[in-house]
Amino acid sequence: MQKKLLAIVVVLIIAVSAVAAWQLVPQTSAREIRIGLVAPISGQPLGQDMSRAAQLAVDEINAAGGIYVAAWGAYAPIKLISIDTVDDSPGNAVTPVKREVESGNVDLLIGGYGSAGTLANEVIAIDNKVPYIITGASNALVTRRGPQGNYGGLSSTDSQAITDADGMSYIFHYCTVTYDYGKTVVDFCNEVMKPMVAPDRDFRLAILYRNDAFGTGVEKATKYWIETENLPIMLIERAYDPKATTYQTDITAIADNNPDAVLIVDNPDKTPTIIKQGLNDVGLKTVYFAVENNQDPTFYSLLGSTGDKQMLEAKSDPFQNPSYLPAIQTYLMNFTEAYDVMPGVNGAVTYDAFFIAKDAIERAGTLDKAAVRDALEATNLPQSLLITKTGRIQFDTGINYHEINALTFMEQLTWNAPMDTLRAQIVWPATAPGISNFKQTDFVLPDNYVAGHP
Amino acid sequence: MNTQKISQFVRSKAFLVIVGCFAILALVPLFITDNFFLTLLTLIIIFSIYASSWNLLASSGQGSLGHAVFLGIGGFASAMIGGSIATALAALSGLDRLPIGVASVTLQVLVMILGGLISAGLGLLIGLACVRLKAWYLAMVTFGFSVIVESVSSQLDFLTHGIDGFAPATLVPKGYPFYILVTASAFASILIMYLIMNKFRLGLAFRAIHGNEAEAKMIGINTAKYKLIAFVISTFFAGMAGSLYVYFIRYVDNSIFAPANSFAPLIMAVIGGLGTVIGPIIGAGILISVQQLLALPSVSEGLHGALGGFFPGIADVGPPLSLIIIGVILVLIVIFMPKGVISLYDKFNSSGEREKKKAPEEKKK
Amino acid sequence: MDISTIILTLVWGVAIGCVYILLATGLNIIFGVMKLVNFAHGQLLMIGAYLTWTLTVTFGLNAYLAIVFTMPIVAVLGIAVERLTFRRILGTDKLNEIFISLGLIYIFENVALLIWGDRSKQIISPFNNMILDLSSISITYDRVVAVVVVVLALVAFGLLIKKTKIGLAMQATSQKDTAAQLMGVNIEKIYMITFALGAALAACAGGLYGIIFSFNYQIGAMPTIIGFAIIILGGLGSIKGAIVGGLLYGIAEQLATLFLGGIWGSAVAFALLIVVLIVRPKGIFGVKGE
Repeated sequence: MQKKLLAIVVVLIIAVSAVAAWQLVPQTSAREIRIGLVAPISGQPLGQDMSRAAQLAVDEINAAGGIYVAAWGAYAPIKLISIDTVDDSPGNAVTPVKREVESGNVDLLIGGYGSAGTLANEVIAIDNKVPYIITGASNALVTRRGPQGNYGGLSSTDSQAITDADGMSYIFHYCTVTYDYGKTVVDFCNEVMKPMVAPDRDFRLAILYRNDAFGTGVEKATKYWIETENLPIMLIERAYDPKATTYQTDITAIADNNPDAVLIVDNPDKTPTIIKQGLNDVGLKTVYFAVENNQDPTFYSLLGSTGDKQMLEAKSDPFQNPSYLPAIQTYLMNFTEAYDVMPGVNGAVTYDAFFIAKDAIERAGTLDKAAVRDALEATNLPQSLLITKTGRIQFDTGINYHEINALTFMEQLTWNAPMDTLRAQIVWPATAPGISNFKQTDFVLPDNYVAGHP
Repeated sequence: MNTQKISQFVRSKAFLVIVGCFAILALVPLFITDNFFLTLLTLIIIFSIYASSWNLLASSGQGSLGHAVFLGIGGFASAMIGGSIATALAALSGLDRLPIGVASVTLQVLVMILGGLISAGLGLLIGLACVRLKAWYLAMVTFGFSVIVESVSSQLDFLTHGIDGFAPATLVPKGYPFYILVTASAFASILIMYLIMNKFRLGLAFRAIHGNEAEAKMIGINTAKYKLIAFVISTFFAGMAGSLYVYFIRYVDNSIFAPANSFAPLIMAVIGGLGTVIGPIIGAGILISVQQLLALPSVSEGLHGALGGFFPGIADVGPPLSLIIIGVILVLIVIFMPKGVISLYDKFNSSGEREKKKAPEEKKK
Repeated sequence: MDISTIILTLVWGVAIGCVYILLATGLNIIFGVMKLVNFAHGQLLMIGAYLTWTLTVTFGLNAYLAIVFTMPIVAVLGIAVERLTFRRILGTDKLNEIFISLGLIYIFENVALLIWGDRSKQIISPFNNMILDLSSISITYDRVVAVVVVVLALVAFGLLIKKTKIGLAMQATSQKDTAAQLMGVNIEKIYMITFALGAALAACAGGLYGIIFSFNYQIGAMPTIIGFAIIILGGLGSIKGAIVGGLLYGIAEQLATLFLGGIWGSAVAFALLIVVLIVRPKGIFGVKGE
């Protein structure tokens, strides 16, 4: 019996070693720049969009010769390494990143979608000092939980704080953070909706959010801005289990508080269901705001005609043609030509990140990770698919550490019956840096809108 | 088990085999220095402890569908305690963070055991609720606990930080040093579980209960007591595995309570060989290798090139394919090889001289 | 808090309970007849939802008509599952059922993921967006239709069990299969029919689910667990118990959601289940349980 055990273990070890040996075979000898795309490719609808956008960016860059690396005195192509985080839960999101990073397989990382998974796998980049341009994960702790971001307002001994300042400096956030869009929603409510529906009382905003890193991040940010700006807005809060599929009771509880508008914080595959259940089942006839990551074909197709006159917060709108930005129009055309499907916003940001990386590597002139980090920190490019507050792509080094300071805006959806599609138009703010005629139409209340009351 | 027996065991072949195996495991990474291999091996060994702990509980006839509770509690507790002690020690010596050294390594071992103990404490409570339950009822209740614990953890977020999650302090450097810690812990825990299941009277009682609980009761076994003991021991090791797991992946959050983590040890034990000591280890090796190999960028690219055209709805066919493979293996094993992969080996050997010796044993079972 | 809010919550509890009841009934007859629990039952619901969706999208079928076509397809799938897997392990260790189910869950979910992709879908019914307005409560037509369909399915099912030869044979088998066998009942055929029926009910539940909610390949897991919790509450093998358990569960979950918040919904429902089982290890109505 004991001999058998030994034999089994030996067989097992041989099998595993064989695999490892196969893994050790050098895959390429030519010089290339290995960029890892971290995305929930197989487990979340948006992963595919990110994967397609990344491939498009790599194809475009490589077709134009690749990236010039001064230290090599030559142009080198990008090799895209897809790192699939499956459902983006930390258990699944960390191991693949750890594997690729610690085998020295990647020069730089781009991506990250869910806040929970990204907060987890960025630790690997921090530990190993690999530059990571995060293009999702709107939770602000992503870049703020180090010393530079003043630990995101936590104490330095808090378990969530990361004390490794040097490690934190490798993390860049090319995405809006919850604070950006929490502010946009409350400002919009205060400036546009309040005069229309509640001129002489507090505006009643309800927030219905998934109880995870993403949802609680938006909830904190919304509360923060109402308090900081001292706005006349009363917040009604409600959280639900991310695994839930029925939301009527939560919406019923919200309806019981008579809100003027409801902010829903979830992904594009869930948000439409929640809006539909609210409008149709519970009969809460109000204005629903969807958050920025819903700018995705899934959202539009699931919501359908129910979405008429409902609101979508946006950081970029790749569906508009003609668009408020010529770059978006080009992206839309190239993407649909390559894949014959509409792009989503999460892919759009990922696409941009590859060009930011290209620019930084060329300025660094080497693939040395610290040099690339320094170059990324000095990035100063014109805005591309995201609009920023300065009109340029620059990573902040203040308290909004390594954030892009992106601008979010409000869009109103309109159901176009003859075309059988839902369209979005920008209703707020009136202007944006570098863009004239930003606002496209006026906000109107939905036909059957019922204002809240105390 | 008295001292004489212990010394007898130490001199026995079984002990030598276990020591030998782990010694080899400990040395392998020195010759194969690939990091992917090390990551894979570390994961396999951590999950071996976890699957063995599930296996021990199953050997007493109790199939849990909520073992992730204990993996998670062990992970959370040890990460929280380890973090605060490390911070306190660093503050005492006026440093930014605890330097890696004897103190930090001791702390790592300490929090691992603490994680196990806290998990076992909860295991005792949950076990009390479960002793009267059997089969699906038990499965459902243990699953229910995993749902409840996750909800409680997110409700007590100010304490657990489970929603955003957090990174545990680095106490043992990543790579080979951490691997050695994992291997040593696995050696100790699997050895203890082996002893309990095969050398102690406890193991006998577990098997009697598994065989037929009513009968076991009749011959005077306090079944409730032994079932509870199995629960506590099993949850202790599950908690320990949880501690190693979160320090290995460098993060812990509520998703550690996910059903996939409850199902993993079950699948591993069943594929490898339920009730055996080596089975869960083999199962862990198979399951994790399949998953990790099919998730490799080079492999998934190849798969996508070959199969992507058939499945336009998905960008990466690797992970679903690996889960389909695991599902098929599991179903096939349960139907055709109910004693797991390890029984292949018995079959292979039974053609030899041992055939006669084995046959009556199998009938008894 | 408004009383109408509480009434509305009860309505949600009942409405959601209905889909669960359908699933639970399928699980339950399989248990009653075969003494077997198929934890992968919810994956048949998921497949049912996808097939209904495919029929409506590719053939432009009316969604409710599509459900009728989906049911036999999934029934055949159920037969295949029974023949190829569960039949082979009947009579062995009870844990084996859990293992087989788990394997099936992995297979079904990921095959669906490969075939239908990862984007959420919703079945568009002819009553899409139509709302029945009762003074204080408005409810979508689809939900009303769903309740009607569930009631019809349960009545048809009850008649089948009570009035037909097959139903009587199933009852005989569920009481004691050796005796039934002696009376000339073909046990294997009965097992096959039972599994097919259970699968068809799951497909029906899936179609309704897909009309009311958006769905993806992962939606099977929660309903099975809930369906199973329901039949445990009501007692394994008891149809009456399944209906009472379904309503109880739905209402408990929704009331917990209302008063404690959505994060507590399933936790409270499970806590209820655990308490019931600790007090009565065979469920509320359970007598026949193992």
